[in-house]
Amino acid sequence: MIVARPAEADAAAPPRPAHASAREVVLRADDVRKTFHLGFFRKRVEAVRGISFTVERGEIFGFLGPNGAGKTTTLKMLMGLIFPTSGRVEALGRAVPDRAAKRRIGYLPETPYFYEYLTPEEFLDFAGALCDVPTAPRRRRADELLRRVGLDHARGRPLRKFSKGMLQRIGIAQALMGDPEVVVLDEPMTGLDPLGRKDVRDLILELGREGKTVLYSTHILPDVEMTCDRVAIVVGGRLRSVGSLASLLSARVLSTEIVLRPASSPAGRGGPPAGDGAGIPALPPGGRRLPGEGDVALELPAGSDVDAFLRAAQAGGAGIVSVTPRRESLEDLFVREAQEKRDS
Amino acid sequence: MRRIAAVARNTFREAARNKILYSLLFFALALIASALALGELSVHEERRMIRDVGLFGVDVFSVLIAIFVGVNLLYKELALKTVYTILPKPIARWEFVLGKWLGMMATLVAQIAVMGLAVAVTSWFEGGTQTVDAALVKALWLLLMNVTIVTSVAMLFSSFSSPFLSGLLSLGVFVVGRSVPDVRALGERIGGAAGRMLSAGCAVLPNLHLFTPSGSTIAGQHVTVHGGPFVGASYLAWTSLYAIGYSAIVLGLAMLIFRRRDFV
Repeated sequence: MIVARPAEADAAAPPRPAHASAREVVLRADDVRKTFHLGFFRKRVEAVRGISFTVERGEIFGFLGPNGAGKTTTLKMLMGLIFPTSGRVEALGRAVPDRAAKRRIGYLPETPYFYEYLTPEEFLDFAGALCDVPTAPRRRRADELLRRVGLDHARGRPLRKFSKGMLQRIGIAQALMGDPEVVVLDEPMTGLDPLGRKDVRDLILELGREGKTVLYSTHILPDVEMTCDRVAIVVGGRLRSVGSLASLLSARVLSTEIVLRPASSPAGRGGPPAGDGAGIPALPPGGRRLPGEGDVALELPAGSDVDAFLRAAQAGGAGIVSVTPRRESLEDLFVREAQEKRDS
Repeated sequence: MRRIAAVARNTFREAARNKILYSLLFFALALIASALALGELSVHEERRMIRDVGLFGVDVFSVLIAIFVGVNLLYKELALKTVYTILPKPIARWEFVLGKWLGMMATLVAQIAVMGLAVAVTSWFEGGTQTVDAALVKALWLLLMNVTIVTSVAMLFSSFSSPFLSGLLSLGVFVVGRSVPDVRALGERIGGAAGRMLSAGCAVLPNLHLFTPSGSTIAGQHVTVHGGPFVGASYLAWTSLYAIGYSAIVLGLAMLIFRRRDFV
């Protein structure tokens, strides 16, 4: 599996504003816990078990975790939809819920539901009025946002006729109606096709370039690697890791993927297995041939003498197509954290 | 104020686009129009019949609409999760509840106005010269005050229970509220603990009988909507105050429940 490494993500992502490095905390969760009592017998369910983290001004912060990890509950506590059982949540320096702080925050809930009898224009006008935006700027902003999220063509259509992707877009637009400094998006890529995902990802990066702080939860790890300055990983209601991707991911090479073109197959079709001729050297212990046709893809374990292997391949007449060292990815970290929690 | 008005406007818009409400309104108008046929069956009492049936239609259907829409006002926001988009915005929870209530009241004002107009038109068809008089307007105003309380009660129940249960409870409050003088008299007659319980119940439940005074004796005077003396301005003023005060208390309770609720 090819995963974009942080270095590549940085190259793909447009430059972030200088204030991204500022340290003003805009969202804070301090040892937050939430226990629900469900059903007739009031069964106790600990959804969040003491989570602490901060989101700083201007950064794009990814909030990761498997299903049921407590991500949505934590975001809802930050938005004042759920009250913590204990601990403290703050938005823009004020205890949640605070109207002045809410005026500067935009929020997209998970799988959002809207008033289906409204048109996008009416809905955005309603959202703007709730954010205290006066009538004339409200209309201008609604027009601008409809264009920005690509719904200009559907402005007169009732929301009940919108596809999942269109609803997600209008949800993002309503979150931006108050021109917020902080944008909190709960699973903004859920249910979107690859193009829709890219659009949302680009929008998140654009918001970051505009100097807005973005906190979003997701399961889609490559997107996080491409967009986020810092991430938090939540498993089982507890925070497992928080920090920049560079600080969380090990720089150690886990394996090296090498693609060779066999000497006996100049067209690169139907190459023989590794180590049986055609210039492909024998694999070191722990190495394996990766499935696929054409060029021969091999994986050498960490600690292998890659240079010697490549020299042997060249001496045998094989062509070197690519050499990719594989470092720990966010997915590796995510799986490791989830696995450790399961084991414990 | 802008936020409350926005919620009220949206609630009114929702009702205006609700087909079930139009069906209820259609049945109300059909009932009012049927008074023409019933009037033909009576002897020299055509106008009386039209006004009685007409006001009965306005009363029953405005209460049905108040309960049907009222119990869904908050519940639907929670069930459809639309509230998740609204409450993170800079609107207080009490403002949201008040906005929903005001939107509902605007809907009821429009419905009662349309039904009242239907009563007037029906009277005109019957050949009445004075189709809209002060008594009709006062009677419609009292029915509006009646549904002010019913809507608030329905919203209170819907802030913590399902629409079905809220509907049943609201209907129960309406039926008993209309019979408060009879229930109070019954309590006095039977006495003892049961009698005291009935009296206490009457003290807590709204006295909705106040809003259908035609045919009763008020301050020693028989009042009627059929041409005789009807209630005066002071009666309208204090019953309106009673309705608004009672609604404010009930709505305040709904706001309190809503204020501490987790939206999971």
